[in-house]
Parts: sequence; C-alpha cells; structure tokens
Amino acid sequence: MNLLSRPHADVGLQPERTWLAWRRTLLSLVGASLLFLRWVPHHGAFAFVLVGLALAAALGIGTRQQRRYHQGIAAINSGVPAAPVLEVFALALACAVLGLLGLYGVLVL
Amino acid sequence: MTSPAVPPPRESLRHKLLKGGAEPDPRFTLANERTFLAWIRTSLALMAGGIAVEAFAAQVFAPDARKALAVLLLMLGLLLSASAGVRWLNVERAMRHGHPLPVPIMVPLLSLGGVLATAVLLAFIALHPA
Repeated sequence: MNLLSRPHADVGLQPERTWLAWRRTLLSLVGASLLFLRWVPHHGAFAFVLVGLALAAALGIGTRQQRRYHQGIAAINSGVPAAPVLEVFALALACAVLGLLGLYGVLVL
Repeated sequence: MTSPAVPPPRESLRHKLLKGGAEPDPRFTLANERTFLAWIRTSLALMAGGIAVEAFAAQVFAPDARKALAVLLLMLGLLLSASAGVRWLNVERAMRHGHPLPVPIMVPLLSLGGVLATAVLLAFIALHPA
C-alpha cells in the first residue's frame, strides 16, 4: 500500500476506524478463546469447542477485513454504502452460539 | 450502476433483508457497523466473565452463587450478541427509509443485568464474610 497516496477523501477516516473496530473485535475473540482454555481442566474436550469457535470467528474476520477495508474506501468514493450483511450475521451467530455453549457448560455438564 | 436481470443469490438476500429504500450515506453504514462491533465486544466480555467466574472462582464462591453469576453473565452476553445483529439490521433499514433510529432496548437491559450481577455479588459478600 502506498502510504503517500490518499485512498479516499473522508476526513473522518471512517474506513480506518472501521478497520480498527474489526481488529479490536478479532483481538477480543482471541482473548476470549484464551480464557475458554481455563475450562479444559473442568470440561476437557468440550472446552476446545468454545476455543475453536472463537478462533474460527477471529480467523474469519482476519481473512476478510482487508477486503472489507477496501469496500469501505470504495463506498466512500462512490457514495454507495456496502452493508456487510453476511459478516454481521455470521459474527452475531457465532457469538450467540458461544453463549449457548457456555450456558450448556455451566448448567448441564 | 447497472442491475443485472437476475441478481446473484447473495445480492438478492441482501436486498430482501435491507427492504429497499434509498442508499444512505456510506459513513452512516460504517458507523452502524462499528456500533455493532462494539456491542459484540461487550457481549464477548460478558460471556468471558461468565466463563471466568465458573473457571477461576471455584474456591471463592459457594457453588450456587457462582452458578447464578455465571448464568446471568452468559445469558446477558447471549442476549446482547443476538440483539446486536437485529439492531444493526433495524438501524440500516431505518436509515434507508429516513425513519428515526429505533430505541436501543439493549441499553436498559444491560444496566439491569449489571445491577443484578452486582447485587448477587453484594449479597454473597454480605452473607458470607471472609
């Protein structure tokens, strides 16, 4: 990436701030997955399901977010937004399943 | 922009979910996306807290108080992550139609959950002095 060229004219740096928000979320997922490791002594293999799901979601963000950044730039430049329907629902679903699995671990196992 | 006669499946799903209207300012869509992500991180923090209570605090709490706290935090996190997705879509729809933004019902729910979790903790500390 050429840092001297200006990819878009938004002085609010919205695409960059959105990139950082995705990156913070990715790091939160990695942090949560490390915490889920604390369940390994109690629940054994079940804990790895939570760890794996959180890491898979983090990996999903990691592989897509550069593309999403460029979509944001294109949206600013063209004036046509690109609503990330799939990304939003996949992430919300992954987190809801994490919560359900956590409840299962607390209440059933 | 040319629209193909038969839109690809993902595009048509998108249009169906977003329910027409006019394309909003792209900056608003990006802001909505960041707000969604902030809710998701809040939900992750709550769920990680619930798991931590169950994993780290085995010797600190009586089993009942520990379980109540963990379930409360996990349910709150679950509720937040689900409603974050719904709210993202509702805000996107409202912006497309120029409607006022929906009232965030998650905000009072989150405060209530925080109050409840703290009350459980306080009750435990008051009833079981070290």
